[in-house]
Amino acid sequence: MKRLIVLSPLVILLIICFFILIYLLSNKDPSKPPSALINKDIPIFESKSLYETDKIIKSQDFKNKKVLINFFASWCLPCKVEHPLFFEISENYPDLFMLGFNHKDKSEDAKNYLSEDGNPYDFVGVDSDGMIALEFGVFGLPETFLINEKGKIIYKFMGPLTKEIIKNEIIPLL
Amino acid sequence: MSSLVGFISLALAVIINIFLLISNFFIKYNNKIFNLIIKVSSILTIISFFSLMYAYIVSDFSNFNVFQNSHSEKPLIYKISGTWGNHEGSMLLWLSILSIYGFFFSRTENINIKFKQQTLLIQSFLHVLFGLFIVFTSNPFLVNSVIVKEGLGLNPILQDPGLAIHPPILYAGYVGYSIVFSLAIAGLFSDSDNKGWIFVTKRWALISWTFLTGGIALGSYWAYYELGWGGWWFWDPVENISLMPWIAGLALVHSLLMAKGEQIIKKWIIFLSILCFSLSVFGTFLVRSGILTSVHSFASDASRGLFILLIFFIITGFGFLVFLLKTPENSKPINFLFINKVSALVINNILMIIATLTILLGTIYPIIVEVLTNDRISVGGPYFNSTVIPIMIPGFLLMSIAPILSWQTNRIRNARLYVIGFIAISLLVLVQSYLSTFNTWGVLGLILGIWIITASFISIISSYKIDFNFKLLQKINPHIAHIGVGIAIIGITCSSVFKNEYDFNLNEGDTVQIEDTIVKLEKIEMTNEVNFQALRANFLIERNKKVVANIKAGKNYYPVSKMITTEAGIYHELYKDIYFIVGDQKDKNWFVKVYINPFVSFIWIGVLIMVVSGFIGVTRK
Repeated sequence: MKRLIVLSPLVILLIICFFILIYLLSNKDPSKPPSALINKDIPIFESKSLYETDKIIKSQDFKNKKVLINFFASWCLPCKVEHPLFFEISENYPDLFMLGFNHKDKSEDAKNYLSEDGNPYDFVGVDSDGMIALEFGVFGLPETFLINEKGKIIYKFMGPLTKEIIKNEIIPLL
Repeated sequence: MSSLVGFISLALAVIINIFLLISNFFIKYNNKIFNLIIKVSSILTIISFFSLMYAYIVSDFSNFNVFQNSHSEKPLIYKISGTWGNHEGSMLLWLSILSIYGFFFSRTENINIKFKQQTLLIQSFLHVLFGLFIVFTSNPFLVNSVIVKEGLGLNPILQDPGLAIHPPILYAGYVGYSIVFSLAIAGLFSDSDNKGWIFVTKRWALISWTFLTGGIALGSYWAYYELGWGGWWFWDPVENISLMPWIAGLALVHSLLMAKGEQIIKKWIIFLSILCFSLSVFGTFLVRSGILTSVHSFASDASRGLFILLIFFIITGFGFLVFLLKTPENSKPINFLFINKVSALVINNILMIIATLTILLGTIYPIIVEVLTNDRISVGGPYFNSTVIPIMIPGFLLMSIAPILSWQTNRIRNARLYVIGFIAISLLVLVQSYLSTFNTWGVLGLILGIWIITASFISIISSYKIDFNFKLLQKINPHIAHIGVGIAIIGITCSSVFKNEYDFNLNEGDTVQIEDTIVKLEKIEMTNEVNFQALRANFLIERNKKVVANIKAGKNYYPVSKMITTEAGIYHELYKDIYFIVGDQKDKNWFVKVYINPFVSFIWIGVLIMVVSGFIGVTRK
């Protein structure tokens, strides 16, 4: 009996570690709680084009279109890392509308960046004061959103995309 | 450069400890050399920590960790606190505190040298485990592969003076238990019946517990004014896991007291010593692996999680295995009477362990459920309030009289005085609450709090000759700590039971009456601060047609990390806090939430008394 009592901490320890081990191995990730924006309508916004200032894009313009929205900046290194991947997406999915938001950047720097690394976006909107990012609840650059035909946000990813993430999480939604 | 120094000294410290552990099997070190090795490795670890801090201070973005977590525009204090505001840095802080404790412990005298060396060897072992963890999975000295001029900022919610010092203090508590743990294991290995370890353990247990109390209170205070939810305790998983070693540590400190009555329950003390540190490591694991969702969630990484889980398993498994194999026998039978000090302490200990297990269950239950059913549930306030609090209440009741109970007999001095006092207080509180707002929990809490304070005062006055000097303070110190608890209980009870909430839609210039106070929203302004934009509403607090204070509440927007934080405005009074939160603007009106939190200040005063008396207790021989 006494032995049993002394043994109990070890038994409890084993049970706890067992469950946590399974939890860790099953790749559940509580640090990525579903965003409050998922399945909500996209926030209302209006943005000028980086190239032609008289061209304006509005949130209402995307009816019946799938849209990928990517927040980027020339000063953002992780953005540079994910940048080439967007060319693959736009090549494979020509129907997908790619909208880039240039976030808190000088327009000269942004243009240089896009001419050096290429421009995968169908439209580059300017978000110089960060208000659009605020509406989207952007936490840090880069961040990517996927909008369905009904104008609802169906996916959000924080941080630079990788080939795996695009293959496993984004492509199935397209 | 500083990163290089930091990494090399960290690696050297780990290597020295590995060397010490291995060579100890072959070489018998003399005391001086042994201590020197421990000190060198401690100092190297601390150098490593300060090199990281230096990199933060000078905004050395060639260090990847600094680049990710700092920004050159941040005020100096937050650059410094940025050092431990992230996973890698905070683990290095953990290790440094472990080293600091090792350093000071190696200076302890009047203790069996062999026993001391064994204790320090176990400390070295812990150092190696965590050191390897840092070097291989959480290295804060990685070089940034790209040249950059600016960093990515620090989580703005952490940019707060209270939170800047909260982690080091909390860690000082957690890690302090490592010494207690090592002492216990060394105690199990050394078969000789040396009583010295009880007194050494007592000191370190008290130091750790006191730091932990301070750390938890700071975190709680931060949550109170920074999260803007109007409360100070949310049964958040991260709060729970700091509470577990705290309660277990409380049990430990009290069972060590029994040594004074020649009633050493060695088995129990060793069990608690192992438990306290295990819970501390468990807490570190749960927070650092990001396995629990909470306000403290940090980025997680599965490989790291596995590594810390392994460390937790090794430490705890090793501890309890040694305990199983070498369970000590009590040298003397325990003098367990119907009501004496020993029985009160034992019952209290059992209650505290039940409370700890209850919290443990509630905290890991969501993980178990998710593994078994794939559903994500959260266990929150209702569970903990309805389980933990009832378990603690009899403990508090016992606590009020425990200090005056006798070791050897059932007799209570001045028993009549206590009985009359208790009945009088109960009646008073009952009548008072019957005439105002009656609430069962409120009545219970108030009676308990006031009773604990009164009983402690009766004991002080009736048991000691009052002449004011430090010696007397040391003697009555346990009573003072209990007075602190009583005050905190009153604060906890009133602020949770008698709290009021008011919602308003106010425009600039509007005036409202809240209870006995008139509040005017004077104006709303936007300002640009060093690293954020601030929106502040200025509230004028009026009493008897006189403005007594103006309180600013609002929000901050941090452009670097693009986050908004709530800045609650609090008008502190001794008997209540008026707590303002400003919400969104709608049709020119601002949504304003006002909480009236009675007696919140009592919580902080009570905790402060506990912390001070904890440190006085350390000085006691």
